[in-house]
Amino acid sequence: MTSQSQGIQQLLQAEKRAKDKLDEAKKRKGKRLRQAKEEAVAETDQYRMQMEKDFRLKQAKIMGSQSHLSDEIEEQTLEKIKELNGSYNKCMESVIKQLLSMVCDMKPEVHVNYRATN
Amino acid sequence: MALTDIDVQKQIKHMMAFIEQEANEKAEEIDAKAEEEFNIEKGRLVQTQRLKIMDYFEKKEKQIEQQKKIQLSTMRNQARITVLRARDNLILELLKDAKMRLSRIVSDEEIYQDLLDKLVLQALLRLLEPVMIVRCRPQDLHLVESAVLRAIPQYMRLCQKHLEVQVDQTEHLPSNAAGGVEVYSSDQKIKVSNTLESRLNLAAMQKMPEIRGILFGDNTSRKFFT
Repeated sequence: MTSQSQGIQQLLQAEKRAKDKLDEAKKRKGKRLRQAKEEAVAETDQYRMQMEKDFRLKQAKIMGSQSHLSDEIEEQTLEKIKELNGSYNKCMESVIKQLLSMVCDMKPEVHVNYRATN
Repeated sequence: MALTDIDVQKQIKHMMAFIEQEANEKAEEIDAKAEEEFNIEKGRLVQTQRLKIMDYFEKKEKQIEQQKKIQLSTMRNQARITVLRARDNLILELLKDAKMRLSRIVSDEEIYQDLLDKLVLQALLRLLEPVMIVRCRPQDLHLVESAVLRAIPQYMRLCQKHLEVQVDQTEHLPSNAAGGVEVYSSDQKIKVSNTLESRLNLAAMQKMPEIRGILFGDNTSRKFFT
């Protein structure tokens, strides 16, 4: 009888060990899934930092080209104004003469549609 | 046939081994499943976040590109306005110069008298009223009076009409005006401005496209010339 109860005891212990083993495995699984989240966050952060770095470089490049374009536009504008002044100084005399002749040269006459009425 | 203690012990050991093996297999299964789920979950989280990050930076890049285009457009516009303003200033300078030269013409009394004769007659022929009032600068009164005297017979010859012309002795054009005359109907409701300034402004307005063309060349952004 004693050996029988001893045998049952042994089986119960084996069952308990098996259950503990499964519990351990389940705990490991839970831990592993939490680890997945942590690793994902770490990888994501790294990726974000890399993207941020690339973005900063692109931004700097764009801003650099922008200031270069700004200088170019300013230069072109000054060049155009210089051209305008040159062209103006060359032609102003003839234009003023033309305007003054329009002001001063006239032939007073009656309008073509005028009919003398008594 | 009853089992001996040794047989029972053997069977128990056998059963215990079976329980242990089952547990080991299940534990391995759980571990394998955990690893699989770990990879799936991690991959899913990383992918989701990556897409979000990519989307965020794509939007930011587009924003910067758009900003760049807007700034560039603004700068070009500003530059164009600066050039147009410079052109306008030069034209204003030209008109100012022309006005100064008008005052030089006026300073020669003989030339100015001849000019006034024409200006008065032209204004009278424009208005064609039986009674007209001529207004001039105070310093031109005597010149205008003689111009009116010369204009009346010419007017009557051209229009076959009698007329009465009064030179306004009370109200005058500003003495700093370039010269010329203004002619009014008797009730002063109709006015013909034949001052040198108004003629210059009119000439400039009529000729402005031509003047711009001569001074600055053709407008390259204009496609059709009528």
